[in-house]
Amino acid sequence: MRKALKQFLLTFMFSACLFVPAEAIKTIDINSLVTCAETYDNQTVTVEGEAIGEVLDRGDYAWVNINDGTNAIGIWMTVSEAETIENFGDYKHIGDTLKITGVFSRNCTEHGGDVDIHCASMEITKSGYRIDDKVSSSKAVAASVLLCSALIIVYIYFKVLKRLKP
Amino acid sequence: MTNTQVRFPSFHIISYYTGYIIFGIAVLMGIPLITSLLMAEWNPALDFVISMSVSVIIGLLMMLLGRRTRTDELQVDWKFGFIIAALSWIMLMFLCSIPYLLSGHTKSLLDGCFDVMSGFTTTGLVLTQNLDHLSTGLNMWRHMLTFIGGQGMVVLALSFLGKHIGGAYKIYCGEGKDIKLVPNVKYTARIIWKISVIYLFTGTLALWICGMVIGLSPLSAFLHGLYIFESAWSTGGFAPNTQNMMYYHSFAYEVMTIVFFVLGSLNFGLHYAIWQGKKKEMIKNVEVQSFFITSFLLSALAVLKLSQSGVYTNAVSCFRRIVYNVLSAHTTTGFGNVYAAQFANEWGDFGILVMVIAMLIGGSACSTAGGFKGLRVSIVFKGIISDVKKILSPERSIRVIKYHHIKDNVLDDGTVKASALVIVCYVVLFAITTLLGTFYGYPLAESAFEAASVTGNVGLSIGVTGAAAPALLKVQYILAMYLGRLEFLSVFALFGFVIGGIKKHA
Repeated sequence: MRKALKQFLLTFMFSACLFVPAEAIKTIDINSLVTCAETYDNQTVTVEGEAIGEVLDRGDYAWVNINDGTNAIGIWMTVSEAETIENFGDYKHIGDTLKITGVFSRNCTEHGGDVDIHCASMEITKSGYRIDDKVSSSKAVAASVLLCSALIIVYIYFKVLKRLKP
Repeated sequence: MTNTQVRFPSFHIISYYTGYIIFGIAVLMGIPLITSLLMAEWNPALDFVISMSVSVIIGLLMMLLGRRTRTDELQVDWKFGFIIAALSWIMLMFLCSIPYLLSGHTKSLLDGCFDVMSGFTTTGLVLTQNLDHLSTGLNMWRHMLTFIGGQGMVVLALSFLGKHIGGAYKIYCGEGKDIKLVPNVKYTARIIWKISVIYLFTGTLALWICGMVIGLSPLSAFLHGLYIFESAWSTGGFAPNTQNMMYYHSFAYEVMTIVFFVLGSLNFGLHYAIWQGKKKEMIKNVEVQSFFITSFLLSALAVLKLSQSGVYTNAVSCFRRIVYNVLSAHTTTGFGNVYAAQFANEWGDFGILVMVIAMLIGGSACSTAGGFKGLRVSIVFKGIISDVKKILSPERSIRVIKYHHIKDNVLDDGTVKASALVIVCYVVLFAITTLLGTFYGYPLAESAFEAASVTGNVGLSIGVTGAAAPALLKVQYILAMYLGRLEFLSVFALFGFVIGGIKKHA
């Protein structure tokens, strides 16, 4: 029994020495990626950002632009992947947050020197939503008062103009 | 009542015409207001009602104060023309920034004013935050500002002036435009707008179709087409998204913008001459020759260096990333399809210097472009050649040097001196702005790049311009854009007037 325990402990210790922990995929912000473009060129990177605008469909593939608050970049992905994105950021929407892993290029030869990421995998980490654009009551009051004042001035201007006419 | 019976005629004239221009721009705020209503963007719609009302009130009050100008038909002197143009731009900078401030997309009034001045002067640098979530109404306004600024706000107002246009040519010149396409300045202003509006329709249509082909939805393709055309034609450089031209990932879209911004950077006189069938003008014009020579040389130098250093490895990427940006800089457009950090980290000192030269030379005189202007560069160049020839010729020989710009002109010392003087003013402004950048700790190359961009009304950035930049640097950039656009004289006249006081001029 003791021998078996020793063997087990030795094996465990030995395997622990050989064990190399799998490196957790670290998300890089887009601005760092662009600033250190030479370092990351042709490397597999992971970025996370909001899908913005809309899908730019190009046959079997499509462009999706993402913005992580530091900067924005184009992601080249398959149309089927792009179709899973439901919300794109604009004035009325917060877009889906995408976690993209893919190969970064600072001078993509396939796309005329574009700085882009060719997507290998995509995950929607947070769903987007429609922004509730409530009308500001203070703005409405200010607008009404100023509009009335402007109309009064217009009236006075034309009245004065009429009086000045020879 | 005669002119002499009116007290402070200067005040009446300045107040009336400045108010008139403000009122005209206030009316134009109706376009983004209608856009907001159509897109059901209620808060932006209210922002425009507020801005429009404030502008109408101020504009009409100023017109009322200066009403004697209309009734007594007071004549505008040269100095008033320059002052009206300069003052209108300052007042409109504040008034037009109201929608930016109310939208919550700018961090301060200064940032709002910066973006408006950037639009008016067709520079294209941006301090507005979160561009990707901007309302359609505010985007319409941003691009309208740059389109109006390109043609000139004074030009726009003059084209709608009725019979009360005493001395209108002097106000028109105050905005940095001095070409008379037809003897009447009102009709010249109308022709400038006619040319621009015809191009606006055709250009928007072309970009709309291209936008749909590259994957934009029909409505989005139309709006993007309109915005990008307005920016390209007015050599502005604004775009509706953070990535500027990189948003589209399209060679075709980029090529179309090149066509539009090169056309926009050409003299309105040249457009008019070609419209009248004088097609040879395109080849004979000294400004066109100068533009194509400097564009070719600067592009070739940048391509040579950047392809050698291994940054761009094939012909397509060299054209799309180098030639595109050099042309964008040279026409003072400011559309960019590389990141600011790439200029700083990959283009190197040589690439940056090429861009600085391109930005400072700029486009054509009396166009939507900024910079020294090709005409002045060629006049000074020809002047130097002429002086060298004079030295080498026998003393008794008389040489008449000519240059072709719309018509054959004799190159005299006065013309050379006037051109050289404006170039010196630009260089001094560029040097001061660079100096301030280095004072705040930015590297020399980056400070020079950004200074050339604001002085030449370009809009490309190497990363200095940002919301976090020092306030004084932002103020200097606003001043540089303003001086560069109005070509110094109007602003100097306004300063002189303010310092001298209204009474003295009355």
